[in-house]
Amino acid sequence: MLKRLLRSPSFLFGFTLFFGTLLLALLGPLVLSLDVEQRVGLAYTAPFPGHWLGTDHMGIDMFSLLLQGLRASLYVGLVAGTVATLLGTLIGLYGGYKGGLVDDLLTSVTNLFLVIPTLIVLILLSASLEEGRSLSLIALLIGCTTWTWTARAVRAQAASLRARDHVALARINGFGTAHIVLLHIMPYLLSYIFMVFILQTASGILAEASISLLGLGPYDSISLGKILNEAVQNEALTDGAWWAFAPATLLITVIAFSLYIINTSMESVFNPRLRR
Amino acid sequence: MDWLRHHPTLRHMIARAGWYLLTFLVAVTINFVLPRLGDASPVGVLMARASMNLDSATARQQEEAYLAEFGLVHVDDKGQLVRDAAGKPVPTSLGAQFARYLSLSLRGDLGTSILQYPRRVSEIIRLALPWTLCLQLPTIIIGWVVGNLLGALAAYYRGVFDRLFYPLALLTSAVPAFCLGIMMVYLFGIRLEWFPAVGGYDDGMVPALSWAFLRSASYYYVLPFFSILVIVVGHQAIGMRSMCIYELGTDYVKYAKLLGIHERKILLYMFRNAMLPQLTGLALALGGMVGGALITEIIFSYPGLGQAILTAIQGNDYPLISGCTLLITVSVLIANFFVDVLISLLDPRVRASQVSTR
Amino acid sequence: MSMSAPVLEVERLRVHYLTRFGTRVQAVDDVSFQLNKGEILGIAGESGCGKTTLVSGCMGLFIPPLYHSSGDVRIGGQSIIGMDREQIRRDVLGRKIAMIPQGALNSLNPTRRVKDLATDMIVSHDDRAGKREISERLRERFERIGLDAKRVLDAFPVELPAGTKQRVVIGISTLLNPELVIADEPTSALDVSTQKSVIRLLFDLMDRGIISSMIFITHELPLLRHVSSSIAVMYAGEFVEYGSTEQVIFDAQQPYTRALMGSMLSADAGQRGKKPVAIEGAPPDLKNVIVGCRFAERCPSVRSDCAQHKQELRVVQLRKVRCQYA
Repeated sequence: MLKRLLRSPSFLFGFTLFFGTLLLALLGPLVLSLDVEQRVGLAYTAPFPGHWLGTDHMGIDMFSLLLQGLRASLYVGLVAGTVATLLGTLIGLYGGYKGGLVDDLLTSVTNLFLVIPTLIVLILLSASLEEGRSLSLIALLIGCTTWTWTARAVRAQAASLRARDHVALARINGFGTAHIVLLHIMPYLLSYIFMVFILQTASGILAEASISLLGLGPYDSISLGKILNEAVQNEALTDGAWWAFAPATLLITVIAFSLYIINTSMESVFNPRLRR
Repeated sequence: MDWLRHHPTLRHMIARAGWYLLTFLVAVTINFVLPRLGDASPVGVLMARASMNLDSATARQQEEAYLAEFGLVHVDDKGQLVRDAAGKPVPTSLGAQFARYLSLSLRGDLGTSILQYPRRVSEIIRLALPWTLCLQLPTIIIGWVVGNLLGALAAYYRGVFDRLFYPLALLTSAVPAFCLGIMMVYLFGIRLEWFPAVGGYDDGMVPALSWAFLRSASYYYVLPFFSILVIVVGHQAIGMRSMCIYELGTDYVKYAKLLGIHERKILLYMFRNAMLPQLTGLALALGGMVGGALITEIIFSYPGLGQAILTAIQGNDYPLISGCTLLITVSVLIANFFVDVLISLLDPRVRASQVSTR
Repeated sequence: MSMSAPVLEVERLRVHYLTRFGTRVQAVDDVSFQLNKGEILGIAGESGCGKTTLVSGCMGLFIPPLYHSSGDVRIGGQSIIGMDREQIRRDVLGRKIAMIPQGALNSLNPTRRVKDLATDMIVSHDDRAGKREISERLRERFERIGLDAKRVLDAFPVELPAGTKQRVVIGISTLLNPELVIADEPTSALDVSTQKSVIRLLFDLMDRGIISSMIFITHELPLLRHVSSSIAVMYAGEFVEYGSTEQVIFDAQQPYTRALMGSMLSADAGQRGKKPVAIEGAPPDLKNVIVGCRFAERCPSVRSDCAQHKQELRVVQLRKVRCQYA
């Protein structure tokens, strides 16, 4: 299966893009010297030698800010994605497998949170936290509010797997819930859960960008969304200072896009019906 | 209630309505609780502004007036503050405040803005909402129609058109809306200067139903409109395309072909069956249109709900934030309920399962 | 159209399909047979042996990735190879030949009432028919096949039980009184008593003259004993034995046919108490060109040179057998 994936051109394309961005984030700071503290020029200076992306509204090197922001955004995306996937998978698996009253209860709760718009909850939560908004906290918040979609999807899969013979056999043999779920249901869902994780990461990054653009971003670090927020607030947009927002926009687009492509290509490999 | 047994669909709808009411209560609770978790009291902020030139007696009177206005202290029937033995006003409990909030919200009174005191929140929203609706409604509907058509065509004819169209649609649906917005603002607004970059209308103009104003407003409308439209079209096309591809591969389409049924009738089958989930998508998108373009509006400095929320957040204006979020949530809930009802009426498979339960 | 022409005549038909990588798979390789009015031909074989592809070809349904390689198919003496799609749709499908597909239970459009689907079918072939005339016709036909017409016609497929759905599919397929009905595994998803009633219904339609000939496809060879007049056993795209029902079932000459009979449970007298023996292995991959006997790998009586010589159909004991050692 993995081989088929590697042969798909769209998967390779998406994966290379994302991996490239990841490399940039991880290795950039090691290879290039970054400085987000020092003023190296006047506000919104155009790119010049030594500072390929000019300066921001405070005169700080834009390139360093960009790389820092990239790391922060990726961090939030991955953490939020992990939290959301874990939460959603656990809830979905448990409800889907157990069925009955437990399932009804969990489904009601899931539907409740599904219907209430996540951005709204995030806005309210972040606004109420005021100064306490660290990067990790935001990541946690996003993870805790975006798990609902995963829960519903995983539950549907678990419920259909529950009807399979080998699961029924395991139940008859008296194996406990955890054992059955981990050994008999999870293995079939691994590829699905991975795809879900990719989507959750993408939505986590976008959620962070949205929240930061609204001014509710992390107060202790810079993220791609916050870069954009500052650009809009300080009118970099209207001044034409493209270096202050274009690279950040491009990066967000590339990350989201590559993750979606990876997900779509995985879907067409793992789901044969769409394969023609 | 015997007749209820004979109308499973009605029973289902009542059950759903009840569930949505419950969800509404949860949403209102969240809207009430969260902003109050911080310790900024609206009265404190207002006092800080107002008390500068007042002596202590007048200041205390003003403070008590504010407290009463925001429902933070008990008020008797004549409008006088209820006082305890020491003469100090009696604060209301959180529960009482919540009840007051709930009853006022149901009546449409969303409170007073702190930042723009004494403007009412509902007034601020009332001025901003039309801009958002004018931006969202056409884009959602046109985008839905065009996107579904293109998607169906791509699925049915495949070939060259599909091979070109599919990656393009994938691209536009995967790009985040605000990123496209930023790129369009920069390219078309700043660089090429084809359209204005920010704002809803020319500076100095006052919103009115005059030709001059409408002409100016439509000029400012173009960029935000297209930045959303492209994404909607791409998104819908992708969805419709995979729905149609699925439908085309089903047994019943194969059987219809075996029977020798006209191609155009089979297309109709495919369309109608693929349409159902797309219709629900439309209804949900319409429900989300109030809060769906927040970021885009911020980028274009468009005077809609997005701008309102932005300024509210910047100024810690909790009543305004709460009011906007409540409005957005309620419209989503209504849309979801509507979709539930629609599906149970239209899809024979869902109707059948309603009959079989119980 | 001459009276003596067979209802269906297939001459050296070869059908292939192209996989998404462009590989050619010869699904039907040089098949010939004839079906006259009033006859019932049973086609038996494992899943994937090409039965469904063969009958699709017989109806002229060469829709990519399925392609006609060579050979002729004649209906009532007239060749349908080379007919354009619209002509096949109008004149052949549903009118001269009707197919009751595999998985008939999923074949009804879930969002369309039975009567609307049936009307679509009639109108697609005869657009002059009036509404009242059509609903009369539907009601009459459905009553004749033993269905509660009023309830069933107005229903959505999801409201009907499996047995009723099967009858509905048979009813709709035969609305235009086709000369030939191809039933593709009509009984595989049903319980035994429903199976019997479906077969009885098909015979009933034949008796009443609504249909005049039938091809009955199944993977259960013993089932054909009470159904068909002649049987063709298919393996890997070829007919390996073709003769009358008595010959093929009771006196099979081809090793595959024998193995197939031996692997089936049968409730018939004389066959009870027999232990079924599975056929080891799997059918050959038709992507590759196979030189010798296609059954050689799995044949219990294989000889050393079976895999080298291409096996032709020869007449052995008054029926056609594809085996040089039969």
